[in-house]
Amino acid sequence: MFETYLPVFLMIGVASAVALGMFLATTLAGPKKPSPEKNLPYESGSNTTGANHIRLSVKFYLTAILFVVFDIEAVFLYPWGGMFRDLGWFGFVEMLLFLVILGVTLVYAWKKGALEWEK
Amino acid sequence: MGTANFVLFGVCAFFALAGAVTTVAAQRPLRAAVALLVNIISLAGLYLTLSAHLLAAIQLLVYAGAVVVLFIFVIMLIGPAAEVKGKGEGLPGRTLAIAIMTMVTGTIAFSLVDAAGNWLALRSNPDFGTVEALGAELYSRALVPFEIVSITLLVAIVGAVAIARHRTEGEITEAKAVHAKAVEVREEAKAEAEAAAKATA
Amino acid sequence: MNAWIAISPLLLLVGGGLLVMLVDAFTKERNDLATVTAATLFLSAGVSLFALLSGKDPVDVPEVFGAFLATDRLGLFFDVAIGLGGGLSALLAGGYLREHGLERGEFYVLVIFSAFGAMVLARATDMLTLFVGLETMSLGVYALAGFRRGSPRSIEGALKYFLLGSFAAAILLFGSALIYAATTHTDFAGIGATVAAGDADIKLLLMGLLLVLVGLAFKVSAVPFHMWTPDVYEGAPTPATTFMSVVVKAAAFAVFVRVVITAFGDDLSASSAGGWPPILAGLAVVTMVYGNLAAVGQTSIKRMLAYSSIAHAGYLLVGMAAASVVGEKAISAVLFYLMAYTVSNVLAFGSLILMGSRGREAVSFDDLAGVGRRHPLAALPMVIGVLTLMGFPPTAGFFGKYYVFSAAVEAGGGFVWLAILGVLASAIGAFYYLRVIVAMFMKDPVPGEPVAVPMRSGSVTAALVISGLLVMDMGLMPGSMLDLAIAAAEQLFAG
Repeated sequence: MFETYLPVFLMIGVASAVALGMFLATTLAGPKKPSPEKNLPYESGSNTTGANHIRLSVKFYLTAILFVVFDIEAVFLYPWGGMFRDLGWFGFVEMLLFLVILGVTLVYAWKKGALEWEK
Repeated sequence: MGTANFVLFGVCAFFALAGAVTTVAAQRPLRAAVALLVNIISLAGLYLTLSAHLLAAIQLLVYAGAVVVLFIFVIMLIGPAAEVKGKGEGLPGRTLAIAIMTMVTGTIAFSLVDAAGNWLALRSNPDFGTVEALGAELYSRALVPFEIVSITLLVAIVGAVAIARHRTEGEITEAKAVHAKAVEVREEAKAEAEAAAKATA
Repeated sequence: MNAWIAISPLLLLVGGGLLVMLVDAFTKERNDLATVTAATLFLSAGVSLFALLSGKDPVDVPEVFGAFLATDRLGLFFDVAIGLGGGLSALLAGGYLREHGLERGEFYVLVIFSAFGAMVLARATDMLTLFVGLETMSLGVYALAGFRRGSPRSIEGALKYFLLGSFAAAILLFGSALIYAATTHTDFAGIGATVAAGDADIKLLLMGLLLVLVGLAFKVSAVPFHMWTPDVYEGAPTPATTFMSVVVKAAAFAVFVRVVITAFGDDLSASSAGGWPPILAGLAVVTMVYGNLAAVGQTSIKRMLAYSSIAHAGYLLVGMAAASVVGEKAISAVLFYLMAYTVSNVLAFGSLILMGSRGREAVSFDDLAGVGRRHPLAALPMVIGVLTLMGFPPTAGFFGKYYVFSAAVEAGGGFVWLAILGVLASAIGAFYYLRVIVAMFMKDPVPGEPVAVPMRSGSVTAALVISGLLVMDMGLMPGSMLDLAIAAAEQLFAG
């Protein structure tokens, strides 16, 4: 089990080591001369205004939830793809039904304007 | 269980627990969301130790990739109001909750340890949890629940459209009335506070 | 009978639901959506009723259905209850949403597919279908509860319901995972067989059972898992409240029956000393007492009906607990009660909808003051509605209570005390139900306050006429419905 994923774990280990190492190196090696201006949060060079929290529009939520749902739909396609030949026509029809139902849902969301940004 | 597996389990279990505790304890919702991300990724590692390959991949794709993003969107949607601190339960409430939780968790933990042999035997099959094995189960035996899931997803989208899309004229009138009332209450409170300030001065 | 006929109520709902979605998406005029939705749901109920009355059972059920969805009479019986309750709620919505300017097509789509989820839940024979069905139903109902977006109460109720509901679903899921760990089965029959053979890990199994019961008790709003009910029922648009109180309750009790009888019907889990009967009996006691006492002090009728729905869950739990001794009799009583409760509750909530019009929704007892004298015809359904909820003969509610309590008496032992307590609790119930009638006929409206003006709507009237006739029919001739319930219960215990 562990051996199968050894490359993945090596990758994770190296990536974290590099990232942490960079932080550590700059903290240790870089000169530090703090001033009030330098400690301000950086906002494209201009002075910061307001709180760091802004309220996002509810449109983002709708887009995000559509993404999550269709993401889940896509996830169901992976094991199906892996089994496609063994399942044959039966599996094809089965997945077709699944996709048709979600297709109607997509059309519905589209016609209801859930995919429109301006409005 | 081999040593390497055991180490993987230990590391993942530690981060899963740490992430979970931080999620619950964090004051700022955004930090809680990131702690949840740690928890979710560690759970994917735990699934690997159980040979549930596909589940681990889905955990990363859907939960770490999409669901946490959705959480962060919602936190941003609520805006600064998400950071208002609640008063929380009083001491008796907390004690009761902790007592019940300890009892339930304790019982479950003890019975799980007792029964471990019983269900560990289930995954003696080396193919358990691979993409093919899961696909075969899902698309031939569990065909009915799979098709019903499409309806579940449909309801989720229609529900989201219902609560997040345009308002009808009746709703707008109602919302306006509510808003007007809120403004009125706020104005009154302000006037009262001013009057009180004048009185003390 | 072909197995497809037994499953056709579900397929009809999917087909009708997709049709409603397309109509809603592609047309601007959406006047007929309520009718189409109600027709689909009634058709589905009608097909199930036809299959039930034909008296034949499906043959050669394909393996894929058999393992996950029941094709038995119990399933068909609940299809009738859910189709009927859902269809009547859709008719009510047709009048209510237009009157209050809330008309949006999503409502009907959600009603159809939530009813679909409820039917799946009622037919679930596996923890997998149980959970998927439960989520399909609940997701739709959460959105329905928050449908009235301009009203903070509606949003607050929906949020509470959603958070607590997801929590309860998680507990239920955890419980089924523990049951799986204890028995290595997720299907109810397999769980039952493993436990009966003595192969299950008992501690783990009971822990799992306890958590599953908590999840289900939340859905049927049994005390102490009822906290969400009053706020959600009050905040939601009234047709959504109706839908919740009839469809969700019926489906949750259906799966409750299946879980305790099929998966935990063995001698150990169903013994009066341990297992579920004492748990359910305890839940029944606190639910009946609390629901009725809390309903007394309410000023809002919607809230009063919410507590009354908690109290009714208590009476039903009496029947469930008695099922450990007198199985068939108690379960058939529970089934009859649910059908009676469905039509009675539609009648009560429907009359409340009828009493109000735009900007003057009837909510509290004061709103109804004197309505009975000003509009006697509009007050009639409300009178019948509260009488049947109270259990006054000759209405459907009377026989529901009668069958449940007589099953408990027949079970003997401690169950007799449950029945006595149930009768006493119903007596308290009479007080707050009669207050509605007193308010309508003997009170005068407070001068200067807005008075309720009944609305005019064909579809609301149709829903009231249908449910009123059914209430009286089941009250005057309870035999035919009881026979269906008995047949369903017999098959459950035989198979």
